[in-house]
Amino acid sequence: MTIVKYKTNIHCGSCIKSVTPVLNNLDNIDLWKVDLEHDDKILEVTLDDEDKNSVVEAVKSAGFEIEEIQ
Amino acid sequence: MKEEYKVAGMTCASCAISIETYLKPQKGILEVAVNYPNQSVTISYDENIIPLETIGNKVKEIGFKLILGTKEDTKKEFEALEEKRLATLKKKLIFAAIFSVPIFIMSMFLMGKIPYENWIMMALALPVLFYSGAEFYTIAWKRLKSFSTNMDTLVALSTGIAFLFSVFNTVNPQYFLSKGLVPHVYFESAVIIITLILLGRFFEEKAKSKTSSAIKKLMGLKPKKVTAIRNGEEKVISYDEILKGELIILKPGDKIPVDGKVKKGTSFIDESMISGEPIPVEKMKGSNVFAGTINQKGSLRIIATKIGDETLLSQIIKLVEEAQSSKPAIQKLADKIAGIFVPIVIGLAVVTSVLWYLLGPDPSITYALLTPITVLIIACPCALGLATPTALMVGIGKGAQQGILIKDAQALETAYKIDTLILDKTGTITEGKPKVTDLIWDKNTVSTELEKVVFAIESESEHPIAEAIVAHLKMIDTENVPIDSFTSITGLGAEGTFKNELYRIGNESLMIQKEITIPTELSVKANSLKSEAKTVVYVAHKNRVVGLIAVADKVKETTLAAIEKLQQMGIEIHMLTGDNEQTAKAIANKVGIKNYQANVMPADKGAFVKELQAQGKVVAMAGDGINDSHALAQADVGIAMGSGTDIAMESAGITLMHSDLKQISKAIQLSKATMKTIKQNLFWAFIYNLIVIPIAAGVLFPINGFLLNPMIAGAAMSMSSISVLSNSLRLKNKNIN
Repeated sequence: MTIVKYKTNIHCGSCIKSVTPVLNNLDNIDLWKVDLEHDDKILEVTLDDEDKNSVVEAVKSAGFEIEEIQ
Repeated sequence: MKEEYKVAGMTCASCAISIETYLKPQKGILEVAVNYPNQSVTISYDENIIPLETIGNKVKEIGFKLILGTKEDTKKEFEALEEKRLATLKKKLIFAAIFSVPIFIMSMFLMGKIPYENWIMMALALPVLFYSGAEFYTIAWKRLKSFSTNMDTLVALSTGIAFLFSVFNTVNPQYFLSKGLVPHVYFESAVIIITLILLGRFFEEKAKSKTSSAIKKLMGLKPKKVTAIRNGEEKVISYDEILKGELIILKPGDKIPVDGKVKKGTSFIDESMISGEPIPVEKMKGSNVFAGTINQKGSLRIIATKIGDETLLSQIIKLVEEAQSSKPAIQKLADKIAGIFVPIVIGLAVVTSVLWYLLGPDPSITYALLTPITVLIIACPCALGLATPTALMVGIGKGAQQGILIKDAQALETAYKIDTLILDKTGTITEGKPKVTDLIWDKNTVSTELEKVVFAIESESEHPIAEAIVAHLKMIDTENVPIDSFTSITGLGAEGTFKNELYRIGNESLMIQKEITIPTELSVKANSLKSEAKTVVYVAHKNRVVGLIAVADKVKETTLAAIEKLQQMGIEIHMLTGDNEQTAKAIANKVGIKNYQANVMPADKGAFVKELQAQGKVVAMAGDGINDSHALAQADVGIAMGSGTDIAMESAGITLMHSDLKQISKAIQLSKATMKTIKQNLFWAFIYNLIVIPIAAGVLFPINGFLLNPMIAGAAMSMSSISVLSNSLRLKNKNIN
């Protein structure tokens, strides 16, 4: 289990709806949540493995910006 | 094609970008521009590659809604119209009945006893003709303009003439009195005909409106509220809000809202309505689940892969709708006859009138007026209108007494022509529930002792097969003993300790995994049970198998005899099942069916019915599940098992309350008897006309001076109705086997 945080521009309820299918479909994701209150719209993901890049790809495919926070 | 559509659900500029990025790579879409402040999107696309519907679905997939004029709306409007039509018909019928009864009583029993009786009857008849019967006159008029006739023409003509003639005699009775003739009135004929015909139509419409409720019930299988995980939190959302890719939580007993894939958890799901498989299916990560099925035990998290119109359930709904709407309209034999009968009667009336005018004695003009009216009154289609509905009503009532519910009169009219019968396996040929068929214990074992332990261990298990075993042991009064421990082994079975000794109950894999010896004798028996399509459960004491329990979906007791009888009647029987080849073969052999197909999907069943129909066969289908509903609706005669789902019963024309295949041959016999009665009725409806019309026209006049009194003409008309009614009632006492 790895918890990874990303900075995104997912900033409203409807944006959450658009990323929901792509993130749920990722097999290695157990849980995810976007903090809409935070300025950087932090996406926190609990991953089963180390494949952090799959999340980046998925969110980009839905049309959003994403960047991992080190 | 470039068009602008409104989009619902956008709440920020990123949403707009999201839609653009999602749609742009789709094949066939050339350009997408989302206008966020305007809440709209302009898309230029190639219709041939990507239809608008698909674009709408794509937008929905990411949580927005493209606003288009939907089919739903037009469908709802259509349904509302249908309902309104039925309500109006009911109103007209009640109205007609209320006014007709006093007229009938007055003319039959109180003639000459009430002052101004003709005037009173005229006043009562007016609303019946001009409100309840208006439809007949407008349709007859429209038909006349295109030089065609039907039952409506006959109704309009006979009631219209009877009414106008009666009005003339009421207002101006002196005309006929001065010529030495009695001025009769026929208001009762006019209104009774209208009332009876409306009654027949009402029954017909009601049967039609029932079919759409089948679809409503199917729709009802979708849950209203769904628990989903959105942005890391559990949220209750409505069915319409479900997105593709949504993570949905299913608790025990929940209806599955969408087609999906299990992401987390294990459970058993009752899929019998889709696959026909009677035993609930175990689901774990990666398994597919289907909308409309029911979660039995355990919680699941599933990802919605197909939502709304794309689910298997929606496909079934669509197929049922298509099958129902493509059904040929009820062939109205009476209408066909009326098509020839009406012009002949009119022709005869005209000829009669002309002949009397030219050849008749004085006052020839009066005879020329009176005789055609007698002809038209006697040709009243009252009995003709009663012939089919009364026989059907008695037939349907007789069926109900025997546990055969006939919803659609068309089914009763067609059943006697059946030459091919398709039977669903689970729930139709078999009982539809797993039951213990064999208990085999090792010779050296004390079986009663073991049964107690098995009972105790299986009572703890949640597996559906364990439930069947527990039910069986309970039935044979097995005592329950306290066990020391219980462990469930997922996918394999369970184990428990009793008096410090280990017992294991499970499938062959469990025995192999735990290296348990299976004595040769039991192994041979197990193989033979498997070849009979039974599920074998092994019972092991320490490290040796000491018993076998076979579980199977048992063939109903009456099935064998029923199939034999149907085959004797010359009906070809096919069996279809969603089960595997081995099970299908074993059951088909057991009940004596040569033609069978295994692994059949719901849509395939309907397609198979169509295929047989294309070969010119009259096909009946018997089944009990949602998976059969399409085939039931498609078949010429759909027969549902009373123990089955409501959907099956709604889709089928006939429901067997006793879920007994013997009832099918009874239904066919009933159909034969009913059709015979209808044909006899039509004969009775016409025979009076054939005999009395020439007399009414005056063929006897040159011979012996006899001219039929219009009053007797009316009596002859009611005689034909009485003959028809009593003939229909005769059907009640007929023996149906």
